[in-house]
Amino acid sequence: MATDVAECPISAMQKPAPFVWHGRRVESSAGMAATRAMDETGGKLSAEERERQLMRAQEAELIRAAQAGSRTAFDALVRQYEHQVLRLALHLTGSEHEAEDIYQEAFLKAFRYLGNFRFECSFYTWIYRIVTNLCLDQMRRRKTRREDAAVIVDHSGDEIDVLAAVSDNRSFSNPARELERKALGERIAAALEKLTPREKMVFELKHYQGLRLRTIGEMLNTTEETAKNTLFRATKKLRAQLAELR
Amino acid sequence: MNCEVAHERIVLAVWGELADEQVHELERHLAICPECGREREHVKALQTLASAHAVLEPDANLVARAHMRLDEALDALPAKSFVEQLLARLSGGFNGLKAAPLAAALLLVAGVCGGAAGGYQMAVHRIAHAAPTQPAALQMAALPQESNPAIKPIQSAATPEMDKVANISEIVEVPNSRMVEVRYNQMVPQQVRGSLDDPAIQRLVTLGSQRAASDGVRYNSVGLLAAECRAGRGCNAPGVRNALMMALRYGQDEQVREKALVGLEPLVAQDIQVRNAILETLMNDSDPRIRTISISILEPVEGDTSVREVLYTVSTQDENPQIRDVSRQVLNRLPEIQ
Repeated sequence: MATDVAECPISAMQKPAPFVWHGRRVESSAGMAATRAMDETGGKLSAEERERQLMRAQEAELIRAAQAGSRTAFDALVRQYEHQVLRLALHLTGSEHEAEDIYQEAFLKAFRYLGNFRFECSFYTWIYRIVTNLCLDQMRRRKTRREDAAVIVDHSGDEIDVLAAVSDNRSFSNPARELERKALGERIAAALEKLTPREKMVFELKHYQGLRLRTIGEMLNTTEETAKNTLFRATKKLRAQLAELR
Repeated sequence: MNCEVAHERIVLAVWGELADEQVHELERHLAICPECGREREHVKALQTLASAHAVLEPDANLVARAHMRLDEALDALPAKSFVEQLLARLSGGFNGLKAAPLAAALLLVAGVCGGAAGGYQMAVHRIAHAAPTQPAALQMAALPQESNPAIKPIQSAATPEMDKVANISEIVEVPNSRMVEVRYNQMVPQQVRGSLDDPAIQRLVTLGSQRAASDGVRYNSVGLLAAECRAGRGCNAPGVRNALMMALRYGQDEQVREKALVGLEPLVAQDIQVRNAILETLMNDSDPRIRTISISILEPVEGDTSVREVLYTVSTQDENPQIRDVSRQVLNRLPEIQ
């Protein structure tokens, strides 16, 4: 398992770190220095690009500090990514318990193997690779005991209907439509469960998480071409499953 | 283009993954092939359909619970043994084999330097044995001139290594001068004395804002940095601006935050990061006094859209009537200034 958290594809080096998280900002001298250096050299970067570079520099500093053993720095990294990790795990597993377990295992693994991170790809790709691997393992295990993914089991053991919890401005005034929407969602969840874990993962990362196929390929340790083929297969299967709904 | 290729490209096009020139090619095919046109409609319908299985944002309780559990698990992890640390380093070294030529060159340089240093030490040792009275004289010359031998002026040879400084235990200003005494802890407590113009002293004072042994030290550190910054001397020194922004954003003590805020004032006009930090303070700080000071500091740059926006939000939505009034007054003056 160590290898899947230690290596990054070289092609990922050019990928900008997609810092779109809702995490708190951590100021760092390196980041400030990077910005100042750019200003001083008269770089004509856009404010957005400057912001991104600053965040990348801050993140690199956090990673180095965490590699040197700083728990505070590691905690800051966790806070930057935890929301996305939970969102992905929750949608893929449909269970708060399982999402929590995946979160826990992913960050413990990240903590253990952070020393192997060599900045050859973005930290974002690296942590997502750990999470997707854990989710794939989980889905493979679940293949034998299919569950209704539209129902989430919460912390207290109660079942929450995912689709009922989806906010829809139109639905409160139209219960019939809400029911219809709920049934539809259940059908889709069931159709997604029938895909292979890898197909489901590619579809999830592409459609629900909005990632590029190139990034998905890197996260799943494969090529963009393979990711394209997997998406094509997943689409075909889903269409067959949901044919009568159209 | 045949229909089989077109079907694959339709999937990629619907999910925005098709290159521009291929999109054009596909459009030309679709214009003459109604079957592929229907295929595209089907894939688009699937895309819409799939969105009915919405992605839920994890609620704050779940995030907090997971985070707490992780913290507990990390706390429970046993400290790495020496062997594990060694193995981790070796594995890291193995991964870094790409840098082997550079490492070899560095090793060679280190070896040569080590050899030279060893030779020098041996020579000094021999001289010492040859002339037993000389070391005493040397030792006398090496004694510090200060009456208190523990207090020594910073010299290049005595400059502390910043990464070995555990924390800053005390910062004392010498009245009517630009001298400060900074006490800091390494393996053993140490102290240095020097001018605030000395970069090493500046670094120690800056470090005091982050690794202070007590709140008082942090207050002194931030106060000194802020005063230097306001006097136009220290803002450009490495880490000063950053230390003040950290103190403003994360400082526990409101006096520390206030000092940092006032210290950042000279930078507000030209530094957008500083402006953002002050805007955050205006929005989020728990102390109304600090928020009021933020408004006055932001006055010179109120033409900035984000500043105006925050002032407007605060003037209409803030719980504190005084803050609402002050920000409204500033906003009202805005057209006159423009």
